[in-house]
Amino acid sequence: MSQKQKRLLKEYAENFLYIIPAILLVTVMIYIPFVMSGYYSLTEWNGISKAPKFVGFSNFQTLFSSKGEFMNSLWFTTKYTFGFTLFSNVLALALAVALTKKFKLANFFRGIFFIPYIMSMTIVGFIWQFIFTQGFSKLADITGWGFWNFSFLGDPKLAFYSVVFVGIWQQLGFYIVLYIAGLQAVPADVLEAATVDGATGWQRFSKVTLPLLGPSFTTCIFMSLTNALKVFDIILALTKGGPGGSTYSVTLQIYKDAFTNNRYGMGSAESIVYFLFVLIVTQAVLKLFSTKEVDL
Amino acid sequence: MKITTKRALRKWVLILAVTLISIIYIYPVYLMFMNSVKPFGEIVSDAIALPTTLAWDNYTYVIKKIKYVKLFTNNVIITCTGIVGIVAFSSIAAYIMDRRKNRFTSIAHLIVITPMLIPFQTIMITLLKAMNVIHLSGSRFGLGVQYWGFGIPMATFIFFNFMKTIPKEIDESAIIDGASTFRTFISIIFPLLKSVTVTVIVLDVMWIWNDFLLPLLMVNSSNKTKTLVLAAYTFIGQMNTKWHYAMTAMVLAVVPSIIIFIFLQKYIVDGVVAGAVKG
Repeated sequence: MSQKQKRLLKEYAENFLYIIPAILLVTVMIYIPFVMSGYYSLTEWNGISKAPKFVGFSNFQTLFSSKGEFMNSLWFTTKYTFGFTLFSNVLALALAVALTKKFKLANFFRGIFFIPYIMSMTIVGFIWQFIFTQGFSKLADITGWGFWNFSFLGDPKLAFYSVVFVGIWQQLGFYIVLYIAGLQAVPADVLEAATVDGATGWQRFSKVTLPLLGPSFTTCIFMSLTNALKVFDIILALTKGGPGGSTYSVTLQIYKDAFTNNRYGMGSAESIVYFLFVLIVTQAVLKLFSTKEVDL
Repeated sequence: MKITTKRALRKWVLILAVTLISIIYIYPVYLMFMNSVKPFGEIVSDAIALPTTLAWDNYTYVIKKIKYVKLFTNNVIITCTGIVGIVAFSSIAAYIMDRRKNRFTSIAHLIVITPMLIPFQTIMITLLKAMNVIHLSGSRFGLGVQYWGFGIPMATFIFFNFMKTIPKEIDESAIIDGASTFRTFISIIFPLLKSVTVTVIVLDVMWIWNDFLLPLLMVNSSNKTKTLVLAAYTFIGQMNTKWHYAMTAMVLAVVPSIIIFIFLQKYIVDGVVAGAVKG
């Protein structure tokens, strides 16, 4: 073997040696379970019996044909994702604009908004459960407003808004700091040029700042979208899917079907549909927004 | 009114509004802390008023009852195991993938980062089964190892994108001096990755420390392996209406994160922003 061949061989061996742990780990933790999910989605299996029974696509037919729990959870997740993405981005942008104004406590407030984001979502759910029940009833006594006595977690319609609200409360700080980073990247000389040309404050914001925020929009909307589609912990702690199953997200539904109802085959079918749903929604939205970005 | 005074006035109104919103925003966290030192009767009669006596025994009771020190150790073990593996395997894989571009490394890159598209809930059912087979469930170290698999795709993606900004001449000169590939990586490249390593660590610590679903599936069966959030979840579930103990458990579960955040705020915020923009 020539010197060159030897060196090349050694190089290939090294490549293999240093990359293979990463490939092995993602294969064992992600790809193998993924393929298994695909297989189990075609079976009926309670998780205990030795051999899952092969049933073809009948699980999928059951999921889509009946107006069952899964379709409800898919609809809930869609509504939740829409509400969460819309309001968290609007509110975060508004607060980011306010917090980039120069005043002493701006940095401190930024930290305040960020604190819920570093807390466990499960605990956040519990805190708000306490506030919706104990805290609000006290506020009702003090103010005498009927508003505080609404059953925020007990009424199916209100429970939906409560869950969206708490979800936003937990994550808003994250999107605020992302928008702040985007706003600070807008070049000052362009804004000055707009002022010199006689643009008002609102015109400067809507005609210069907003279009240049394109990448921040894409990032924030993509992140909020994926986070909303995965919602689980907050709902489990806040409503457990209730009242009357009105706040079941797809993730919670999969969890329930597999680990509470022991319908592993059905749960796997749900998880495959969920995977495709997330993939299509995120890719479509990403495409929509990245084509609208403006370069300077 | 002059334009300048009008503008100053507008700014003050804005600052006032932001201040007000911030206070309302953080009020729930304040309520949690305040109610955690109240005796039971005072929480039920008035959740908003300040405590008349400080019931520190809430803390002694809950710390003992949930075995706080043990839980805290579990969290540290799981998080550290996870982080070390994620950083080690991803950084070196990303280095090879960027510097030795050929068909094998390109395909490897694709294989490693594609799982970012697969939501965890899609695979959780069968993951539990697979982990039972290879005995990684039910142990803290095993859970830490599982985080390697879930953390590597994103970490590799971030490291790989950053690797391009480090000039190739740097490692070429080291290799000419006779250093091996591993040696070059450890003593020359890895130190240059510092900023991006901090980003990866911040993102993954926040994720693993507070994670709920994976620990719920893997280590919930025994008190010896439970994480802080899991134990708090079970405990609060049992404490149903005993709000004083529930509040204390909530504070104990989140207070480590809050203390760390107060001291490392700049790194955490910068890391999170960098991670989102790059990831």
